[in-house]
Amino acid sequence: MNQKSIIECCKELGCCDACCLRFLGLKSPAAYENPKQYVINALGKQGASVSPALVVQVETVPAGNQTEPAATAPGAVSEPPHAASEPSPAPSEPSPATSEPTPDVSEPFPAASEPTPGASEPPDDANEPPNKKMKVDGVCTTCLGLLQQENWPQCNAMVKTMLDKKRYECETFACALSAPVAALLRERVVALRLRDACANYDDGALTPLKEAWKWSFGAQLARHVGLALDSGAVSPLLVTLHMEYLEEAGELEALRRLAPELFARRSASQRFAVEFTRRAHAPLYLGGRYVKLSRTLPQTPWLVNGRRMLHSSVQELICAPIAALYRLDAEDAEHRLKFMSAGREDVDVRCLGDGRPFAIEITDPTRQPSEAELQQLCAQISAGGQVLVRRLVPVSREHLALLKKGEETKCKTYEALCIKLSHAADEQLPPAAPVRVTERDLQRVNAYSNCAGARVLLQQRTPIRVLHRRPLHVRPRRILALSAHAVPAQPQLLLLRLRTDAGLYVKEWAHGELGRTRPALADALQARVDILALDVAEVDLAWP
Amino acid sequence: METPTEFKILDSIPDLNNLKSFTDRYFSKRYITDIDGIKNNDIMIMFHSNRIALLSLAPSHFFFNKDQEYKLNFTVGKVDRLRNAVKGKSKKGGQLLNPKSVVCKIEYKDGTSFDVPCGMKGTLIEVNEELVNQPELLKQYPDADGYIAIILSSIAISEATKSELLTHDEYLEVLNRCETKDLE
Repeated sequence: MNQKSIIECCKELGCCDACCLRFLGLKSPAAYENPKQYVINALGKQGASVSPALVVQVETVPAGNQTEPAATAPGAVSEPPHAASEPSPAPSEPSPATSEPTPDVSEPFPAASEPTPGASEPPDDANEPPNKKMKVDGVCTTCLGLLQQENWPQCNAMVKTMLDKKRYECETFACALSAPVAALLRERVVALRLRDACANYDDGALTPLKEAWKWSFGAQLARHVGLALDSGAVSPLLVTLHMEYLEEAGELEALRRLAPELFARRSASQRFAVEFTRRAHAPLYLGGRYVKLSRTLPQTPWLVNGRRMLHSSVQELICAPIAALYRLDAEDAEHRLKFMSAGREDVDVRCLGDGRPFAIEITDPTRQPSEAELQQLCAQISAGGQVLVRRLVPVSREHLALLKKGEETKCKTYEALCIKLSHAADEQLPPAAPVRVTERDLQRVNAYSNCAGARVLLQQRTPIRVLHRRPLHVRPRRILALSAHAVPAQPQLLLLRLRTDAGLYVKEWAHGELGRTRPALADALQARVDILALDVAEVDLAWP
Repeated sequence: METPTEFKILDSIPDLNNLKSFTDRYFSKRYITDIDGIKNNDIMIMFHSNRIALLSLAPSHFFFNKDQEYKLNFTVGKVDRLRNAVKGKSKKGGQLLNPKSVVCKIEYKDGTSFDVPCGMKGTLIEVNEELVNQPELLKQYPDADGYIAIILSSIAISEATKSELLTHDEYLEVLNRCETKDLE
């Protein structure tokens, strides 16, 4: 079996030079940078090219640190790129590259034998030099033009435009191809034909389209965009080109008829695989802790019927400087910055001490911020005086699980300012006498315990304030430590320090919530009591 | 940067002369008077900003002028309100209530009794079981621990009910007018 007969056979079937090399099983990247030369050498003459009516669409999707450019390969009809944030232009006219189906492929590919509407007229290129016409028309029957350099400029331009727009700051890139399934089907048909035509043809040696594409298209794309091509495992920037073939559905119809169930399953799982791939390229995560000093600041924007109730939020104060650093406009910031935290506090509760652990997910970041920039972000966030962030550090995706886990398991220390509203049960005082916190009251709270292993075990019904959106349950929660202190110059007030299980509603314990939390602070104090102010003093979680 | 140890909870002491109770902080009160034409058969519905409503007796209810031992009976016909149970976020399975539905009966030692109607359409979330053991709460703290039931309705119904019923000021005005009429 010789190379010449394989190439001739491929050429007869309408393969491009690069596909000929693929069917030869050639695995040398250098050969794919100039496949034409290789074919000429092997053949001594150039084979005739033929082309089916085909359409290729290209989209580039970046990964990890990356971007989502889209390009259209000039097969025949170009489709608009689909970058979500941009207005989609109307599909462009069929390009002059639109070609007629070749009789050769009409047999193996019945669907392709019907000319695309609007593509049936041969292009008016009578003035073109014949060799140029040959190039334009000769879309490969196997790779659908993906490996043909005359189709590359448009892809190059699109990738370049997108990279310029996204301003990634890195020196390398990896590129990946999402090719039409029809290309696989066509490849298989050619391989079968080769097996018939050439004795001992080994179709197992076939070089995969994606490899050949990387060696040929990828290598020249690197020169075009001025970045070094690297492996996807190494480079933080992955450019994915999604090539769509407009006749795909029709061409795959035979497969669908052959095994409808398998076909449906494959289609579904493939869609999933694509999505999963996109997500697997982890965005950048910054971890830190925030101190909240305002009693009129919600953690996240507080909207009622789409109207905001308060001027800002912890989330917005933290995200704004990050959005500015990455030059994201408001809409971009909303999509690409995600705020996560280990629990939350009420609008009117401050969070002091080391603050509450949080993380920001930055989707598609252009680069890692420098140490100096992180410090500057902290300074900018803290400048307003409502929220303080002392340190921001990059954290891993795995690390993030700590935040959510911490939400369920972490203990918290609170300070609560309370007011005694009635005389204690054992105080022998006339009803009109002023209510005062006595040494005895403090002792009573400090000595109070209703369970072993902790100070207080509460049965807490879902508070009314969240009952509209949470199920009604009675939850056991523990107060692990509790101490009461007098407040100087405020005889009716008492200051409590307490450490609790995660998920204990401190305010509801302090005022008892109409008896829905039992026992309540009143049971320890033996007098009616209410809460005036609450601070989170410490959130027990090693973070970041 | 400042160290947060400088922030003490004692810098948050509010004006102690203008303190509001728990229900006054988070609920707005609405009233229905003379239900079923019975004088001072007055109820109070307290709406949380999240549309959850608490049912209780209005301070002008004749109940507060009668000094006799009483019990609360949550069995209404065949329905036992104490066995009300709700499931999940959407509170499935709660007993359905309309304005005329009786939530409980207050039964005096002398055999007399009166019904407490719901006053609005909604789902019963829970009744205040504590009133069975401590019926005096109803008299002592009608707008706090003596509430009778928690009711959830749709945003639309809760908003409509809220705007239909008497606000606190309107209620005081109605009471005032009645008093004047009584004097005449």
